[in-house]
Formats: sequence, structure tokens, C-alpha cells
Amino acid sequence: MKDEVRTIVEKIGGVVEEVKKSEIYVRIPQQTVRTAARLLYDSEAYFKTCVGVDEREVNGFYTIYHIFGLDSQGVDIVLKVLVPEEDPQTSSIVSEVPAADWCELEIQDLLGIKFGGRLTKRLVLPEDWPDGVYPLRKEFRYDEKPSRVIREELHEEAGIPVGPYHPALHEPEYFELYVEGEKVVDVAYRGFHVHRGIEKLAESPRFTYKQVPFLAERICGICGFVHSTCYIMAVEKAADIETPERAEFIRSIVLEVERLHSHLLWIGVAAHLLGYDAGFMHAWRIREHVMVLAEYLTGSRKTYGINVIGGVRKDLNVDKIDKTMKTIAQVREEFKKLADALLSIPQIKSRAVGTGVLTKSEARALSVVGPVARASGLYRDVRKDYPYLAYGRVSFRVPLYTEGDNLARLLVRVEEVFESIEIVKQLVDLLPGGSVVVEEYDIPPGRKAVAAIEAPRGEDVHFVITGLGRPYRWRVRAPTYQNIPALRAMLRGTPLADAPLTIASIDPCFSCTDRVLVVDIETGRKSFIKLVRGG
Amino acid sequence: MSIAKILEIALKTGRVTRKYPYEPPLLTSEFRGAVRIDPSKCWGCGACVKICPPNALALRNSGKEATLEYFVGRCIFCGMCAEVCPAKAIEVTKEFELSSTSLENLKSRVIHRLTRCSSCGSLVWTEAELKSVVKSSPIAEEYAVLCPKCRKSKFARAASIRIGVGSE
Repeated sequence: MKDEVRTIVEKIGGVVEEVKKSEIYVRIPQQTVRTAARLLYDSEAYFKTCVGVDEREVNGFYTIYHIFGLDSQGVDIVLKVLVPEEDPQTSSIVSEVPAADWCELEIQDLLGIKFGGRLTKRLVLPEDWPDGVYPLRKEFRYDEKPSRVIREELHEEAGIPVGPYHPALHEPEYFELYVEGEKVVDVAYRGFHVHRGIEKLAESPRFTYKQVPFLAERICGICGFVHSTCYIMAVEKAADIETPERAEFIRSIVLEVERLHSHLLWIGVAAHLLGYDAGFMHAWRIREHVMVLAEYLTGSRKTYGINVIGGVRKDLNVDKIDKTMKTIAQVREEFKKLADALLSIPQIKSRAVGTGVLTKSEARALSVVGPVARASGLYRDVRKDYPYLAYGRVSFRVPLYTEGDNLARLLVRVEEVFESIEIVKQLVDLLPGGSVVVEEYDIPPGRKAVAAIEAPRGEDVHFVITGLGRPYRWRVRAPTYQNIPALRAMLRGTPLADAPLTIASIDPCFSCTDRVLVVDIETGRKSFIKLVRGG
Repeated sequence: MSIAKILEIALKTGRVTRKYPYEPPLLTSEFRGAVRIDPSKCWGCGACVKICPPNALALRNSGKEATLEYFVGRCIFCGMCAEVCPAKAIEVTKEFELSSTSLENLKSRVIHRLTRCSSCGSLVWTEAELKSVVKSSPIAEEYAVLCPKCRKSKFARAASIRIGVGSE
């Protein structure tokens, strides 16, 4: 433990249960969790997520893990709070750490632990889910279907919900924008329509350690490889499995290829939202080279399916390396021209400059991640702060802007495309020999690990407690989970016409076609506007 | 001029879309499509069923025969089944045009005859697996056709006769 970290840990108090290379587990009593959280947040730690675990079989308690990332030291400090079974209540840390809002509500929904000292509402579970049934408790079977409870007067405003609940949309979500004339004054968000219970499924007898990577890959249709890699990293960290170096390089190369496709996709969508469809089509045309490359490297355009615990299933050969170098050179050349054309259009600049501003202090309070954080002046990149896989071996720049507006987020992503290309080049040059997978390994139960990866949208965090044959608990925190609450700060005070671009500017990972309900405060009139993005 | 810039890109690029299905699809040599199970090689051991993440493969036992069913509608084309197959009976094809108007067309089956224990008559497993076991390991066929229970008792009897204890 470094001295700086030791001082912080000593100040927190509590019992240090476990010290690992990049994680420190500290058990603290319920009464001091709030002060400890405050102390960590003041010591430049970011809030990653909190995890509720039903550990009654292990130690007789429900356990809450608050994961804080001390970016400057590359260490995660995990506060462990025990909640007694007979009185499942604990104190909330939202007043100190606003970023903990959603994950506390999620624990309350899924595990039935009440958080004192904060406003509570249902976040994840649907409205017709019965009270007192908590799916993440171990006695709840993964395939159980509790009977629906029909509640009267679900919505305060009467109306037929059209749009967000549309059956044809596979990733729906729902924003309510409150406007005065043309100005947005407040935003309400209702999400989790597509909560699939993946975490519960992974700990059910239906799945094994070896199968979960394929499930994890399906969390996201754009950055699935991030999730499977992150799950595998967490398991490998927990069980001390040494992955061959070559496998780590191949994973890093594929991760960067995925980032290229994701950013090009987003840039296309942003151009489309700005009414510049020529830019959209050219961005996606360039992206197609990346998709073909991904298929050639892994066997599939998306959901690559090459990740297994202990390594990867597909090796690189001379032909593949050759094709990689050719493709990224071509993408670089073509994208440079397109970015030039895109950024020289005065209408695009004027639509993006000064809209959807997220200030640095708001970004800090909400612990936002990825390009959203970097566009608001926060120097955060998991690849730099917690070097994983082969990222410690390459040099690259982290684009940083302080304006916090839509243009800054656009520029961060444009520059990251070039950085990714440089990273792939270096990785291919440094690619070591050897095998790509270890077949023999053993995963002992009861081990814990936190893994984080810089996904195209920001930091993706997976937390794993190992069990017998499958994870005892697997928690996923996707980057958008952390960034959506920031939309409220971004949208307040902006003209309505800028809302679609602003919502898309965090690169949310939920929907192909969004619809926004607009409520005019003065007249009470409602109307739907259409938002478009890939998801 | 920004319009001139994009025009230049567009003119230089030309048309990139293909006239699929009138032209061949754009597939690389590594593409993974649906899998095909070779019935002449399959043993019916069930290793593929165990590894399959989406349960696209299922093994059913009717008492008379064992059926390995592949339902392509659930398949995620990961190819793990081909990787674990000890008989190398599963091949990953490049087939991806799989849609059909009938559910039955999405299913393919390999049906195995089952063998019974020559002593007690209980089910042992598929004939194909029995044959492959006899072929690949030094086991006498008279032992292989027994169920594990009968095999154990037969072995115990033979051993006891040899060392001369417990003989009646």
C-alpha cells in the first residue's frame, strides 16, 4: 500500500479486510459510512458504483459494497457495510456523493434494503411488480415469475403511453422534458424498460463461468466486447489466473477496433441529428471497413465471441496483422478528410458550441465517465489511471476539453479515433509470441474482484464474487448508468431544439429511436418529438 | 467551402453498396455462421449441450432413442460446440441466410439408438458412443455393454475369485 493510500485508509477508520494489488476492502460500521464516503470524495476519489449482495449464506448479513476509485493512485477502495437480516436498513450516502443515487435505488428495488435519509422511489422494477418481492435475494429463483399487481393511477398525468413503450423498439427509454416556451426547465427520466435480469441469470444454475462471457457480451450491441473482457478480467483477478501476454495484446487490439467502430457510429449519428446526412453516410461508410476488419479478426462483425477465461480463442497471424495495418491506415486517411469537412461546416459548429453544457463541478459531483468527463475538464481515462491488459505498454494522448458543451464531446471523440488508430499500430508492433490461452485453472469460491475498462462511452465496471461453478454475485455498471443523471444538468436551460443532440451527446446506450415527451408548463400541451440514435 | 469538401470525398469514393442478393455477400474467411452436425460422427455425448450458452442444443432421451436437437433460432454462432466436440462432428459453416416460414426448418436433429445393459437391461447410452469407446480405449466389449453398476459388480466378482475371498 502506498503512503498516500495508507493515510486515506487510516482516516476512514474501520477494519481493513483485504489488500490486493489494486483493491482495498475496508469494513466500516453503518454509522460512519457517510463520513467515510465524504472523506473519500474529498480525497479525489471518484464514485464507481455500489453493489448489494445477499451474503446471508456466507456471513448472515446483506452486504453493501461502495466502490470508490482513487484514480490518481490507481487503487479502488471498497467500503463494505453489513446490513442485518432482521432489520434491512442502512444510511444513504447520496447527500455526500450524488453519484450514488441510482445504485442505492437499485439495491432497494432488487434486494429490499431501505436507505435512510434520502428520497426513495422505484427505479428498476416495473410498476406492476409486487411489493416485498426482491429478485436478488438468494431464495428468489431465477425463473420465478411473481404475479402482476395492477395499480390504479400509475401516472399523475392521464394519457396513453405511446412511443417509449412501443413494442417495436428494442431499447426504449423515456424522457419528460418540461419546457417554458422553447426553454427546457426540467427533465424527468424513466428507464430500465429493458432490464433483463442478467446479473441474476449469471448466478443461476443455468450458467457456468465459461458461459457467462457470452451473456456479458450481449449486454450491449455496440461495446459488447468491453463487457465480456471486463467480466473475464474480474474473474481472472479474483482467481489469480495469469493470462498469456499475447492474449492480453489481442484483447486490447480488439477493444480498440471496437472503440473505432463505436465512435464512428456515434459521429455519424451526431451528423444525422444535426441534419447533415451526407456526413452520417460517410461516417458509416468508413465504419464499414472497421466492421469487416473485426469480422476478419474475430469471426463476427459484432459480439465477437473470442473471449474465454484464461485467454482468447482466435490468434493473429501474418495475414490478419497485414489486414489490420492496411485497414487502420485507410480509415485514418478517410476519416481525416471527413472530420475536416464535418468540422468546417459553420452550421454544425453553431449548433454544438455552448449547448448542453456540463460544468466541471457538476461532472465531478456525478462522477461522470468517458468522453463526457473529458469534455468537461476531468482527466479520467481507465487506460491511463488503472493500466490494464496491454495499455501500460503503449503511449497515447487523452484528449481533454474544458468547455463541457456538445462540441467538446464531439471533438473528444474525433480525436480519440486517431488515438485508437495509434494504439492499434503500437500494439501490433509490440505483439509478443506464445500461446493465447491457458486451459488449466481453478476458481476458488468466495473471492472478490473489481475490474474496470475504458469503454467507448466511459468507464465500465464489473464486480465479481466467485461462487461454485459460477459467480456468486456479478455486478455490471455500464458507463451510461453513470452519465444519464448528468443529462439533467446539461438540458436545464437549453432550447428544446438542442435537446436531441444533447441527449445523444453522452452517447447513451439504449435505443435506436428515442421519443421525448414535451410538456409545455404554461399550456400543459403534450407532444412527441423524435430522436434518433443507434443503440 | 465545406460542400466542396464532401463532394470531393463522395465523387472519389463512388458507389460502395453491393447489389446483394444479386451479388455475393461480403464475408471474410473467418466468418462464423450456423453449425452443422455430422450424424455419422456424432456420439451423442452431450459435451456441446453443456457448453452451449443460449441452450440452442438439447439432448433428449425418450427411452428408446436419444435426440440431439439443434435449434438455429436460439444459436448465437459462437462455435463453442465445435470446439469442445470430442468426435469433431460439428462444423461451423458460413451459412447465415437462415430465415424460414416454418419453425421446423430451423431445427435439425441427430437421432441415436440407445443400448441396454446386457445383464440388467437398464439404459447404458448411445450405440455410437459405445462403439467409439471400444475403439479408442482398451476395454473389452463384454465390459462395455454393461451398465456402470453391473460392470462394477462383475469386476468385483472377478477380482474376488482371483484373490480367493468371498467365493461361495
